[in-house]
Amino acid sequence: MNGFLVLLTRELRQITKEKTIMLAIIIQFFLASFSSVLLIGIMSFYDPESIGETTRIPIDVGIVGDTNSPLLGFLKEKNLRVLSFSDVGNAEEAFRSGHIDTVIFIPESNGGIVDMKLVLPELDALETVILMVLQEPLEKYENYLREANGVELYYKDLDGRPHATYEFLYSLIVPMLMLFPAFIAGSMVVDAVAEEVETKTLDTLRSAPVSLNAVFASKILAGVITCALQCIMWAVLLRLNSLFIQNIGFVLLLSIIIAASISFGAAIIALYFKDRERAQFTYSMVLIAAAGLSYFIDPSPFNLITRLATGDYYTSGYQVALYVIPLLILSVPFFTMSKKLLAAKS
Amino acid sequence: MKTVKQPVIFAIRNVLTISKREVTRFRSRFTGRSRLVLLVIAALCLLITYILYHQDFVLSKGLYTVGVSSNGPAITDSRFKVLPLDVERGRMMLQNKAIDIYIDPDDAICRSDQRSQYAAGALKQYLEKRELTRIASEYEISQAFPLRIEINHLQARAGDVETQTQMSLSDILGLAEAPAQSPTTAEPTELPSGAVPAPSPQPGTSSTDAAVRQQLSDFEGKNGLPEFKAEFASDKDIIVPSLMEPPIPLAQVIMAFLYVVPILFVSVFFTGSFMEEKTNRKLIILLSAPVTPFQIILGKMLPYIGYSIVVIIAVTLLLRGNVLLALPIFIPVMLFILSIYLMVALTYRTFKDQTFFSVLAVAGITAYLVAPAMFSGVSDLSYISPLTLAVQMYRGESFSLTQYFLSTAPMYLVFFLALFVGKRIFNEEYLTGFKPLYAKFSEAIYLAINRNHLHLSVFLLSLFLIPPVFMLQLSSIVVASNLPMPFALAAVLVMSVITEEIAKSSGIATLLQNRVVKSLKQILTLSFMSALGFLIGEKLLLYLALFVISESVFTTAIFSTGLLVMPLMMHFITTSMVCLMTARFGIKYYPAALIAGSVIHGLYNLYVIGAIL
Repeated sequence: MNGFLVLLTRELRQITKEKTIMLAIIIQFFLASFSSVLLIGIMSFYDPESIGETTRIPIDVGIVGDTNSPLLGFLKEKNLRVLSFSDVGNAEEAFRSGHIDTVIFIPESNGGIVDMKLVLPELDALETVILMVLQEPLEKYENYLREANGVELYYKDLDGRPHATYEFLYSLIVPMLMLFPAFIAGSMVVDAVAEEVETKTLDTLRSAPVSLNAVFASKILAGVITCALQCIMWAVLLRLNSLFIQNIGFVLLLSIIIAASISFGAAIIALYFKDRERAQFTYSMVLIAAAGLSYFIDPSPFNLITRLATGDYYTSGYQVALYVIPLLILSVPFFTMSKKLLAAKS
Repeated sequence: MKTVKQPVIFAIRNVLTISKREVTRFRSRFTGRSRLVLLVIAALCLLITYILYHQDFVLSKGLYTVGVSSNGPAITDSRFKVLPLDVERGRMMLQNKAIDIYIDPDDAICRSDQRSQYAAGALKQYLEKRELTRIASEYEISQAFPLRIEINHLQARAGDVETQTQMSLSDILGLAEAPAQSPTTAEPTELPSGAVPAPSPQPGTSSTDAAVRQQLSDFEGKNGLPEFKAEFASDKDIIVPSLMEPPIPLAQVIMAFLYVVPILFVSVFFTGSFMEEKTNRKLIILLSAPVTPFQIILGKMLPYIGYSIVVIIAVTLLLRGNVLLALPIFIPVMLFILSIYLMVALTYRTFKDQTFFSVLAVAGITAYLVAPAMFSGVSDLSYISPLTLAVQMYRGESFSLTQYFLSTAPMYLVFFLALFVGKRIFNEEYLTGFKPLYAKFSEAIYLAINRNHLHLSVFLLSLFLIPPVFMLQLSSIVVASNLPMPFALAAVLVMSVITEEIAKSSGIATLLQNRVVKSLKQILTLSFMSALGFLIGEKLLLYLALFVISESVFTTAIFSTGLLVMPLMMHFITTSMVCLMTARFGIKYYPAALIAGSVIHGLYNLYVIGAIL
């Protein structure tokens, strides 16, 4: 046991010396930055509901045509400033001078189809924002016209908060941050095991009072510990950003189990190919295949993290415990191969 | 370093011989059982991709739990776990948080907490979509979708353009024939006047029906990929509010990304092979043969260029794209990736270093390529990434040659720069030496400079460093976007200023370090050449960017326009300041000199932005 601890400390020291953790953190910082760009960009630009709910963009709407239209009421409900113009020239002047951001032309409606015209500024970003802000009042007006045509729409008054950001964060970002360290751990194990086999340092290590299993297991454990530290760091960072992960203990436990399974898999691949280049490539391919296959499992590790992190009533440690099974299964060929290698050496 | 003057035909033969050797080496890696194993895994990957592509890919499976009454709506969205419940039990379970929302034919009940509210939002979206599909099948299209909106664009600031050539609002609204309505006096009022004659809508059918049908079929997902337009809404487009969907070109971005993943794999082999031959000194032995470093690099790279082209063609054929368009879009991406991996292989000594820098490169390249492409159709800034061009290709949209050059020129330039630097640093001492990263960089720059033509070298170095600087600054925007707005802008400014100062002064600093340059006159003339090279590069890029990117505060901050003399002066002053300080106090104080130069540069930028904003 003492020898194992010495080996483990050696591995961990090597990891810190090679700036691995720093690099892993930089990579993940990039990932987090990347996701926040997506968040700021996509969510604020694209999530039509969140733009109206969370941002206060002062948009001034000019109306030309039927100023008795109920649309004006719907626009005002959305806290938009509405200005009616009796003269097109004045509306144009107000638009060109920037006093109003958009012009809506509403024809007189006698029921049936209403063909409106919307004039937007030629600025990509502003155009998108205006359309997104106007969508809700326009939809209400559309429903009003439908009712006038005798079409009844159910569930149109359901309340609820814009969910896109919530789903994006918990279904993609949180699982990605919690599993990415596991992928790195696997890659590290491939390097560490292949290096020992390639450089033939195993012979030297065999003269030390530790078994070959302990040598490799220490490498796997070092990878797993690094993974756990990164996951804890992410949980803290996310919490600082007001993103709360529920069942944090189970989430961390699952990440560790997955990291250990991936590391056993990576070690098996490295022991099979015995050289780094082929092992790394195969590891990446297997990882992609496994990630794809896991989609068909219910719950997949990705999905299980989502459900745990959002505090799903029906998800608990039981599902997490089930993931120990693949870990145990993977450990069998690992120890067998390691033993075989030892026999071959002897 | 060897300088072998050879006829072109011999040079080509050498390159091909090295390529053939590389192919043999690559094939020998995967023979027998290992080839079989890999083929099985590759086939499995393809099969999984195919299956996932043909089914609705949902990440948030079972995220919400919904209780539904016996006569409630049928919910088939896999985001919802559905439990059939009566009202009483539904209310109780809702209270116990065992379900997130309860729904019956008339209404839905939810709690006030976040989870339940988000579930309600998601359910609302799902049911609305279902309802729209229902009314589309039960009613006439004129009854179900009575509101159609024609989109028109108008220049907001008339002063910027010739107003005569612009359409007027009356033209757009089709009211040109209408009698003029008291043009001078009418003030905007909150009261209705009804003075403008409005054309009465036609009952029954409309010319806009076809547009509505098209949108309806897009909405119901009958046209395969989700709709994406080059612009959110083009002129004369007809939109229906309830069918208007945000233009996320996610599917196309993923499709475009499908090219990058195999290219990254191919590049890992390239860098792996380079690293291995570097560590077992085979490269050094090759150098003693009558081949030039350039031929070795090109020869080793050629098979991987070939594999990547095969990948690009195969993926395009598989996705039914246009091969003739896909090749010019993805070849620069591939060359860019290979050049980064070439530099990683030439600079690093150990495999672990190489693995981590490769992973870092993958993350960086992914962010650089994918993030801007997400804004396709929203901001012209998206043309920074060639994936945007691919997105447009898959939508059958055209793009201009200028847009093509803005996306790809930096990648081509980085490739040629990497080849040039690679050729210069390809010697035993550099390849096998263990040194810290900054020392390796400094040595690479020193080797890249031609000591017989110092001025020209420093000029070209600054000019060619523009694309990497541009890319680094774009990455700094990505990182800075984590901060709130004023801080983000400040962070972008600071990072871009420091990057520019490093780019301009690094060449002269390495010359100072190696005592090639000593006199004040030399430092000043070299600083001027560096400033000139940087300015020309900057302006060329700006010229290209102005064609494509219309408006962005960030790009204004980085590539500030203005007179040519002022920026040249500024570049000269800051560069000579950094270099003089380094010459006076020694290379150890180069970082301090950089900070001093950056402060002056930053103040200048603030002045320019202040004048612009």
